[in-house]
Amino acid sequence: MVLSVKETSYPVEERRPESDAKIVLKNISRIYQIKRNNGKGSTGFIALQDVNLQVRSGELISIVGPSGCGKSTLLDLIAGLARPNSGEIFIDGRLITGPALDRGIILQGYALFPWRVVIDNVAFGLEIKGVPKKERRAISQKFIDLVGLQGFEDRYPYELSGGMKQRVAIARALAYDPGVLLMDEPFAAVDAQTREVLQDELLQIWEKTGKTIVFVTHSIEEAIYLSDRVAVMTPNPGTIKEVIDIKLPRPRQNSDIRSSAEFGWVRHKVRELLQSGSLEKEHGQQTDQNVAEAISTEATL
Amino acid sequence: MPGELERWSISYYIQRQYQKIKLPVEPQRWSGLKNWILKTIAIIAFLVLWEIGPRAGFIDPQFVATPSKIIVTMWGMLLSGDLLVHVYVSLRRALIAFAISAVVAIPLGFLLGGWFTTFEKLLNPLLSILGQVNPFTIFPVIILFFGIGEAAKIIIIFLVAFWPILFNTITGAKNVDPQLVKCARAMNASKPALFVKVILPAAAPYIFNGLRMSSGNSFFMLIGAEMIGASSGLGWLILNSEVNYQIPRLYAGVVTIALLGLAISNLVARLEKRVVVWHEPAN
Repeated sequence: MVLSVKETSYPVEERRPESDAKIVLKNISRIYQIKRNNGKGSTGFIALQDVNLQVRSGELISIVGPSGCGKSTLLDLIAGLARPNSGEIFIDGRLITGPALDRGIILQGYALFPWRVVIDNVAFGLEIKGVPKKERRAISQKFIDLVGLQGFEDRYPYELSGGMKQRVAIARALAYDPGVLLMDEPFAAVDAQTREVLQDELLQIWEKTGKTIVFVTHSIEEAIYLSDRVAVMTPNPGTIKEVIDIKLPRPRQNSDIRSSAEFGWVRHKVRELLQSGSLEKEHGQQTDQNVAEAISTEATL
Repeated sequence: MPGELERWSISYYIQRQYQKIKLPVEPQRWSGLKNWILKTIAIIAFLVLWEIGPRAGFIDPQFVATPSKIIVTMWGMLLSGDLLVHVYVSLRRALIAFAISAVVAIPLGFLLGGWFTTFEKLLNPLLSILGQVNPFTIFPVIILFFGIGEAAKIIIIFLVAFWPILFNTITGAKNVDPQLVKCARAMNASKPALFVKVILPAAAPYIFNGLRMSSGNSFFMLIGAEMIGASSGLGWLILNSEVNYQIPRLYAGVVTIALLGLAISNLVARLEKRVVVWHEPAN
């Protein structure tokens, strides 16, 4: 089922039945007001323009694109940390109005609380949820085991390697049992080997837990390797150019799928989409690149 | 797939084994003793010279009391209760002023650094200037307002203890990792929970830095304040000894102040170690 999510404006009903849609993004736009370089006045930077996307229940969908294309902004909107300037996002048919524990978030910089040992980090969401302490420990322990960190419960984050920290972050997001995992370039900060191990682990956890995962990355290979579908985004303004079905067989862990011909073909296609996207833009609005750079740091806030 | 988990348990097992291996180290007792000697050798040498100097006539014994004499004097004052009264009076002043400044500066620092950030920007230049004013210089003004009673002394100590705590708390509140805040917010943490569970612990190392500076400052200021206008306390003890030409008593005061200062900074450092148990990420 290939989904068209270009800037076409079909009525929503025509697109596909929404029965198994976990997350629905309808005509999302997000504009940042940023100060001009000359200090006078502000100008609107269109981070996202008219984005439509349906995430199916239980699928692993990746969003790829160059930096500044609005993919992190998109994730923030789904997380409820920011509001779209226009358009609506639904999760399980309910309009998203703010953050909630039905979505777990995993960030690039791990974002572990340095003053909490592993098990207390994992229990953070449960604390917010109001789960009693004993239960909290038991649940946290379960997820620490799941990510293979048994024995490290009482370590502080500074005592862990990058890969281990990211595992803690994953366990923390899983612990309060959200239906959706939102991952913002989670493996960008770890070395190549660890990264592949973590990817395999993520797939395994995904198969075990059946979560819906929205995975933001700038690595084409990572997106293809993990995903059922890959949404390709282009910047200025941020739009979803195309959503590609990845029909590679599963399970993909511990296999040579990366060097298969099909993998190569899909990779080529995604790369072409990204390149053509950036070429088109370069002709038109080259000057906007600075603006995108300026906003990308602020966008995380 | 199942191989994966095993692989991890093996890697975990190997790591555990590594932890068990201990590198050969020098016998603890010897290195401890050696360390202790190395640490104290300068102090001992200094004390010996100090003792010999006035006795041998290198230094005028009228102005410099020998360590042995000071110890005897201190012991006598300790037994008579004379010393403890002054220690008590001084510590009480310093503690009250220090506590007030912490209670005022920490919440104010969070308000300025965390919530009213624009207001903080406006206020910052003024605060920096005010923080630079040497409280000694305005001591006469404070005396004019509050007389030479306890209030004046507590206020002047407050004025030095306040600024380091305020500035450090502001910095701490400002430097909370936005990723942590984002993460907590994504987990739907309420505002009070966000403050208690994220902002407060994140700012704690900065606050302690401020407290440490302030505790030193306030003790320092205390002695000065007591020298200018007081009828008790360690500062007064020194001034009074000078006036009455009781040189050993004067030195007893000096040593007591040094020991107390050392004890206070140690106490704060210990408290800090207890509260800030995690390592700061290397920035």
